[in-house]
Amino acid sequence: MPRGAGVPRGAAVAEAGRGGRPNGWRALLIAVVLGLAAGPVPLPAAAAPVPVPTPTAASLPGGTASPAATGGPTGTVPPADPAGARGADLYLRNCASCHGPAGQGSQRGPGLVGVGPASVDFQLSTGRMPLEKVAVQPPHRRPAFSAEDIRAIVAHVDSFGGGGPEIPTVSPGDLRTGREVFLANCAACHSAAGVGATLTNGLIAPSLEGSTPLQVAEAVRVGPGLMPAFPETVLQQRELDALASYVQELRGDRLDRGGASLGRLGPTTEGLVAWGVGLLLLVLAARWLGRRADE
Amino acid sequence: MITRWLVRRLARTVDDRLRIAPVVRRALVKVFPDHWSFMLGELALYSFVVLVLTGVFLTLFFEPSTAETTYTGAYEALDGSRTSAAYASTVRLSFDVRAGLLMRQTHHWSALLFVAAIVLHLLRIFFTGAFRKPREINWLIGVTMLALALFNGFTGYSIPDDLLSGTGLRILYSVTQSVPLVGEWLVFLAFGGEFPAAETVPRMFVAHVLLVPAVLTALIAAHLGILVRQKHSQFPGPGRTENNVVGSRFWPGYTARTLALFAWVFAVTFALGGLVQINPVWIYGPFDPAQASSPAQPDWYVAWGDGALRLLPAADFRVFGHLVPSPFLPGAVLGGVAFAGLYLWPFLERWRGGDGLSHQLLDPPRRHPARLGFGVAVLAFFVVLLVAAADDIIAKVLRVPVLDVLSILRVLALVLPVPAGVVGYLLARALLRGGGRGIGDVTRRDVRSVRRLATVGSRGDVEEESSTEGGPSTEQPRSTGAATGPAAGDGGPRIELWRERDGTWRWRYRADEVTLTGNQGYLSRPEAERAADTAYGNLPMLEVEPPGGRAAVVAGAVERAGRAAGRVGGSLALLVLAYRRRRRDRRR
Repeated sequence: MPRGAGVPRGAAVAEAGRGGRPNGWRALLIAVVLGLAAGPVPLPAAAAPVPVPTPTAASLPGGTASPAATGGPTGTVPPADPAGARGADLYLRNCASCHGPAGQGSQRGPGLVGVGPASVDFQLSTGRMPLEKVAVQPPHRRPAFSAEDIRAIVAHVDSFGGGGPEIPTVSPGDLRTGREVFLANCAACHSAAGVGATLTNGLIAPSLEGSTPLQVAEAVRVGPGLMPAFPETVLQQRELDALASYVQELRGDRLDRGGASLGRLGPTTEGLVAWGVGLLLLVLAARWLGRRADE
Repeated sequence: MITRWLVRRLARTVDDRLRIAPVVRRALVKVFPDHWSFMLGELALYSFVVLVLTGVFLTLFFEPSTAETTYTGAYEALDGSRTSAAYASTVRLSFDVRAGLLMRQTHHWSALLFVAAIVLHLLRIFFTGAFRKPREINWLIGVTMLALALFNGFTGYSIPDDLLSGTGLRILYSVTQSVPLVGEWLVFLAFGGEFPAAETVPRMFVAHVLLVPAVLTALIAAHLGILVRQKHSQFPGPGRTENNVVGSRFWPGYTARTLALFAWVFAVTFALGGLVQINPVWIYGPFDPAQASSPAQPDWYVAWGDGALRLLPAADFRVFGHLVPSPFLPGAVLGGVAFAGLYLWPFLERWRGGDGLSHQLLDPPRRHPARLGFGVAVLAFFVVLLVAAADDIIAKVLRVPVLDVLSILRVLALVLPVPAGVVGYLLARALLRGGGRGIGDVTRRDVRSVRRLATVGSRGDVEEESSTEGGPSTEQPRSTGAATGPAAGDGGPRIELWRERDGTWRWRYRADEVTLTGNQGYLSRPEAERAADTAYGNLPMLEVEPPGGRAAVVAGAVERAGRAAGRVGGSLALLVLAYRRRRRDRRR
């Protein structure tokens, strides 16, 4: 997966060699930047799991609802719960500046009350959130947080209330059903080959190449962005399982039985290869053969 | 040795009954001019051969029917699904038939290359003016074959009944339907009912594997027959006139060359078929009128039509009260106008200032700036249309709104042909006038290429246009060149005649550094003189010693000695082998 656009190429390669470390660094970096932006704020949270740094919330832009914000987590999460505190802490550092300290939203980002754990988990686990830079459609990246941290943030956002779809469960399903469901409901935007396609206004239906079964299931239930949501009443659990399994089958080159896939973009790339490789070779051969030996 | 005896025996047997020796002899000494661009048509021909061979394989397994059937086979995601027989058999070809996918993909790749080679060949013909009298008939046949190739490509692409091609078929259906007055009748006539009709796939299949290939084969035969009858045109150069053909003989030079090209076409198409995936219908899924996949494009050779449909704004209008739906102009009229233009071009050009004379010498493209400019402009227009067919892919890759891409391409389609044509025209004018000097690098390179063009085949064989009654032609190796030839005359263009050892007469054209030997022998000196005169008109003729006589003898002796040595060596090797084997057997 390509990393953020701001990261230079060499840096990305070097980081990839060190495995999961860069994410921690990035999170720290973001936290520091946010902390500095927030002004003269003490940073005790990184060291010790203290309840909720109230001053952070209060001093954030648009932090008028700070009583509610502090009331929410402190009310539901006892200070003794380290996971809850971690979730709240991460949320306030990375999410609250746009979504509001209590998930009420701001001018810079939508409210999170009632989006549901599935949506939060989807956005965080696909690396779309937190935003690295403001974009209409953040790309699928490596997640900024560890799975544990994501769980903590999800739990914290869930504590804002409002319900919303839960994180679905996925189990292996029937490929045939999955193919049928995919072609009927997904192929029109994500392409039958799962490589994605363009939508209106420069938006795209992203490629499914990097999507795990759980992410597929979450997206189906939640309907992120322009994508419609498919609740249980529309797509049964059995069909969801099948669909997630089929998308896994589409990933990689398992279905590319015929050789190089050419990005599975269809006749366009095939035509380019026909001219640029096939015909070029043949014309070069003709040029070579068309010359007389005594020239 | 045995092979040679067999071949000789067979040839004699056939010749005793059919008397083909004179015909074959004439065919073998037939001269083809040397230029790589004259082999583009052969590329198309050999792609067609690959198409026929792989296509025959495919017909053994393909079921041209939309009847519902259950696929059972190696493709897990389709196993047990109810699909049309056409789709199921295509997936079976790809997953369950040995080498089926290789054949399918090779068939598809060679189809793309077939049309591409035809288009390149057409461009060569167009820009060099090879369509002029006397070759208009072959131009018309060629354009017809291009149309048939497009049609057959489209039907072949559509018969697997997959989701992607079904979308394309739907578009063609609508375009046909958009013809005013008769559209509805036409689609029922062609498609056998309202889309998607059960008869469509079987009909396309019959057209694809029977009718169009048969017509194409007949037209190819006519195309080549006319080519042989008219002789191949050639670029101007030293020793080349309107009355002769300078190049390589069919046997052995051109045969080896063309067979090598055949092998290249086989190699490239099968390599692509084995290594690069094309049209993975198992991923696209079976056609369902309620479904669609995106991005969706047709194969490149019809993509210009798709591009036009995307570019032209939707606008229905009425003519004399009859509705003209918006797909009509880009879908039907554009293609119609394009092919009408192609068909009429030789006659239009003659009408607008061309001469009515026969041309055996080609125009270098610059010789006709207006033609070059017009051709480049039309080409630019169609390239923009081709690009427009991929507008959604461009939008996705560049992450820009697809409608912006469309707007830019609309402007380009209207504007780009003008500067492209003007540049082509001016470049040709400049090259023509200044001999290539004055407009920078391109020009200098062009000049170099022109000089190369002029010296191509500076040595070779000559075939006179109106062939005299040829006597028994001696198959003699090509002249060993100017170095061994007798130094005669003052170096100006001249014809040299000589008497061979077997009593036949031959002639050659000689200028400063050019030696062109006539490809036939003649029984008498007047006959040889007449032939040389046909090819070169009023040049001084002088009789010389047979060139390379001794060398030929020496070569013959060496060859004989070599052959004898080879035979002795081979026998010895066999003896040694037999001896060793016997010893080994005894040891066991």
